[in-house]
Amino acid sequence: MRFIELRLFAAISCLSFAAQFFLPSPAPAAAHPRYGGTLRIDMHAASVSLNPEQWRVGSLDAAADEKMAQLVFERLVALDNYGRFQPALAIEWSHDGSNKRWRFVIRAGVKFSDGAALSAEDVVSALQPLLPATEQISASGNVVVIQSSVAVPDLLEQLASGRYLVYRVLAGGALAGTGPFVLADAPVGHLYFRANEETWSGRPFLDGIEVTLGVPPLRALFDLQLGKADLIELSPDLVPRARQANVRVWISEPLTLYGLRFDDAQSAASDVRLREALSLSLDRGSMANVLLQKQAEPAAALLPEWLSGYAFLFNVDTNLERAKELRRGLTANEAAGAEPLRLRVDPAGDLAKLLGERVAVNARQASILVQVIARPVSRPGAASTAPSDPPSGVHLFAWHYSSLSPRAELDSLFAAYNLTEAQEVNATSTDHEQLYARERRILEDRRVLPLIVQAESVGLGAGVRDWMPARWGEWHLADVWLETASPALTDPASTANPAVQSSPQPRATAPGAKP
Amino acid sequence: MSFRTKLFLIFLVTVLASVSLVAYGVTHYTQAAFEESDAQRSEALVSQFNKEYAQRGDEITRQVKDITDADVTLKVAIDLARPNPDLSLYVRDAVGAAQDHGLDFVEFVNWDGTLISSAQYPARVGYKNDWVTANKNWNDSGFFLRKEELPDGVALSLTVVRVLSGGNDKNMYVVGGRRLDQNFLASLVPPAGTRVLLYRNLEAGFVASALTDVNGPFEQADRLEPLIEQIQKQPRPTVRTIDWTENAGDAESFHAIPLMGRNNELLAVLLLGSSRKELVLLTRHILQIAAAVAGAALMIGLLISLWVSARITRPLEELAEGAREVASGRWDTVIDLRGKDEIGQLASAFNEMTQTLAAQREQLVQTERVAAWRELARRLAHELRNPLFPLQITVENLQKARQLDAKQFLEVFNESTATLKAELANLNTIVGRFSDFSKMPAPQFALVNVNEALRNAVRLFEPQFNAVGKPPVIPEYFLTEPLPEIDADADLLHRAFQNLVLNALDAMPAGGTLTMRTTEHEGNVRIEVSDTGKGLTPEECSRLFTPYYTTKVQGTGLGLAIVQSVISDHHGTISVSSDEGHGTTFRIELPQRQSVQRVAPAEEPAPEKKPPQSFTVAASD
Repeated sequence: MRFIELRLFAAISCLSFAAQFFLPSPAPAAAHPRYGGTLRIDMHAASVSLNPEQWRVGSLDAAADEKMAQLVFERLVALDNYGRFQPALAIEWSHDGSNKRWRFVIRAGVKFSDGAALSAEDVVSALQPLLPATEQISASGNVVVIQSSVAVPDLLEQLASGRYLVYRVLAGGALAGTGPFVLADAPVGHLYFRANEETWSGRPFLDGIEVTLGVPPLRALFDLQLGKADLIELSPDLVPRARQANVRVWISEPLTLYGLRFDDAQSAASDVRLREALSLSLDRGSMANVLLQKQAEPAAALLPEWLSGYAFLFNVDTNLERAKELRRGLTANEAAGAEPLRLRVDPAGDLAKLLGERVAVNARQASILVQVIARPVSRPGAASTAPSDPPSGVHLFAWHYSSLSPRAELDSLFAAYNLTEAQEVNATSTDHEQLYARERRILEDRRVLPLIVQAESVGLGAGVRDWMPARWGEWHLADVWLETASPALTDPASTANPAVQSSPQPRATAPGAKP
Repeated sequence: MSFRTKLFLIFLVTVLASVSLVAYGVTHYTQAAFEESDAQRSEALVSQFNKEYAQRGDEITRQVKDITDADVTLKVAIDLARPNPDLSLYVRDAVGAAQDHGLDFVEFVNWDGTLISSAQYPARVGYKNDWVTANKNWNDSGFFLRKEELPDGVALSLTVVRVLSGGNDKNMYVVGGRRLDQNFLASLVPPAGTRVLLYRNLEAGFVASALTDVNGPFEQADRLEPLIEQIQKQPRPTVRTIDWTENAGDAESFHAIPLMGRNNELLAVLLLGSSRKELVLLTRHILQIAAAVAGAALMIGLLISLWVSARITRPLEELAEGAREVASGRWDTVIDLRGKDEIGQLASAFNEMTQTLAAQREQLVQTERVAAWRELARRLAHELRNPLFPLQITVENLQKARQLDAKQFLEVFNESTATLKAELANLNTIVGRFSDFSKMPAPQFALVNVNEALRNAVRLFEPQFNAVGKPPVIPEYFLTEPLPEIDADADLLHRAFQNLVLNALDAMPAGGTLTMRTTEHEGNVRIEVSDTGKGLTPEECSRLFTPYYTTKVQGTGLGLAIVQSVISDHHGTISVSSDEGHGTTFRIELPQRQSVQRVAPAEEPAPEKKPPQSFTVAASD
């Protein structure tokens, strides 16, 4: 009997071993999701803030903040990859004919991570500071009403993106959310999230998420290759290398605009001819295709094609001869000949600095002397320039698209960079023609010059399954599960309740829940 | 300055000059030796730099060759040689190559000069580097200094270019280099007391910030500006000394070496600084030693010169002392000096001289004594003959009168006895005067008002100033008031003044002016008595105070001798000046205080008033 058992075991083992080599591997999607494990994420940002009120709209820091906040907080509505609005904390919504009054019915039975039930008043408290001044929000029973002084037909796009997250401020200032994860601990350089057992959409597959902050790009790639991380942010220059190393790479739609904006702080920058000459000297194609190794696209518009739909209408070709001609028509001072046109690189990082230097090299071809001043900009509220720095005539900026509303995005961008529009412009219209006209007028003045738009790249570990992010950058980690579970997060809450792993609450499949 | 001092100073100066000469010689030759050593050290440093420079170039050449030989580089070259290569694939390759091979600068350049990848300036990717393709024989070339363009400026690079064939007659160029900056300076190990600076000649003119040492920008760059500018004008090795401060010890010699580029353009200047502190310290040390030796030599010289000068000058001093003793009257002074040298002979001659002088003095004294006795005898004979002759006549008259009758005899006898008495009295007076001179009393000092004493003495002669039948004598007083009282014997002073006034009156038989003057002069009291008589000849002046010398027919020659005696007893001086035909002035200077104890007025017995007749007698002399 024992001999037969041994033979049977040996045969099965041999078959299994042979199957590994000769039979095709089952597709990951075909595997059943499993609960458990901790997803390890390496992020470039050195710190994050989960409080949406503290985010600086459009900044790269806010992008990282938003990614982490989406683990803990939720919005009223969500947009799926097919462009359909899905219920989230609001289960239904309606608006009047003028699109000024919006009514949202709050989902019942939703609890914050501290156990408190979500109410319409909580939604009002969370969103009122975030909404623009033209919009007033009020609660009535389980209904939230947003009354705007102007028509906001794109309110759902706004509420489905950006910082419009619902949270509750606890005693002591901590924030509680209704999202799939709860922030368990936040020592310096790390964030530990654990699964929210009480979330209305069902417990996430992951037991927890361990985020390491401030990881340099190359180090993050090494961590991924060595199995020390499951998900990393990939810098564009490392995408080819990651692909060569057979790392799974996901690339979003272009999410970050790099551009130049002029500042009258340096007199030379106020001359439109100089701005035009500089614009014509820029070789955006080389920037995107050579320097960034095709991990970016040349940008002629402020909003990307996927967001606006009309970006293809803008076109800026390099015309060095025309640029030189314009330059020759300028006096020395006008052309920054007496002193170089100072280009301050506002975003931190090598990419922005490289772009700034490329701008300087391009400009020099048109005999425009540009001095690059690379200095990282700290968190919101910090001064972007040191007091002793000379005034800069042009800034290289990075703008992270955070709203799904082109109008809101354009408004935010114009407001952030003090791009004033003519009074006859209908700034509240969501009509694409109107938006195109607004953007065209701004670009014609050449106070702001788009350079490139860059996608977001993510490197994924081999064990990460059901990675189904939104193409505009939302990660949807509640749907992710790990094929080979990493050691469980040593969180007191999770270790105190072993039943969580053994009998998890299944993910909700009710209408409105994420797939 | 004494002879001993002179001798000492001469000896001292001789020693000092000798020591200074030796110290100067030692310092001079030491400095020359140090300069030579410094030059050798600088030469060694230059040699070391050249060696390091060459080694660094060889190292870069090897590193660039390693990059060229790497399979991955060959793959890039092959890919680039294919038609329509994707240039973006290799943008980051130069960064990896630079990191892997420890180079600061690495660039890949396509066959057509397009920059494919750049470690130091990735923003320039896609632009042309035509200077690379201009030379096809890079593999036979060595390293060279190059001005490397960077995003934040320009740097100096030790550059090597190698060519890699990718096929299809298309080459790829690998440009590698390392920065020539303060890190390069830090890799040099200069000897102690030296340092290395580097001036990067990347812009026209002198730029202070372009001068660096191992720690970064050199702070006092402007001090080296003339040297740099000189090299910029004429790029050739130059040496110059820089005085950083007023302290010579802070000076530094700089050897400037121009570093040229491929096209023989000046790209950098290497400055090898050699501190002169050691030289200065050595010089100071030598000077200190010289000073110490000089001091010791001076001390020894001082002692020796003291001993030598004492040995040489002691006989001279004894001779001088002997001469002083002879001068003070000790004619029998004998110097006890032995030796046969010149000083011994001088001493012997001195002793012979003093013996001769003593003998001659004794002889002179004898002669003078005889002469004095003769003079005294002559004077006595003259004085005594005058009364003796009437006595003889009277006695002879008495003898003759014995023949007369009694009445006549009595008459003659009475006249004769009266005459005898008178002449005898006269003899007695003469004898008394000599007796008085021989018995001049010692002065009894008390506080005396000189002006008052002078007025009292003159007042006695006022009747004679306007005597009937005689030309008038006008007394004039020029007395300083108040005049300090002096220690003096009032009687003797009175007697001396009387003799002077009497002498003046005798000098003015035709009348005139008698002038009395008192002043305070250098702590003494000066008394002048002047007449307007006929004056004295110089010979008369010189013998005026000699006892028994007189120019008058009726005079004992004792008046001025008494005056001189009184003044001498008062430790004063008397002198006479005379302008023949215009008058004579006697000048007396008396000290205010006498060393002998003054007679207290309360205890002082009333001075014995001598009979004025005695002064009258004296005055009438």
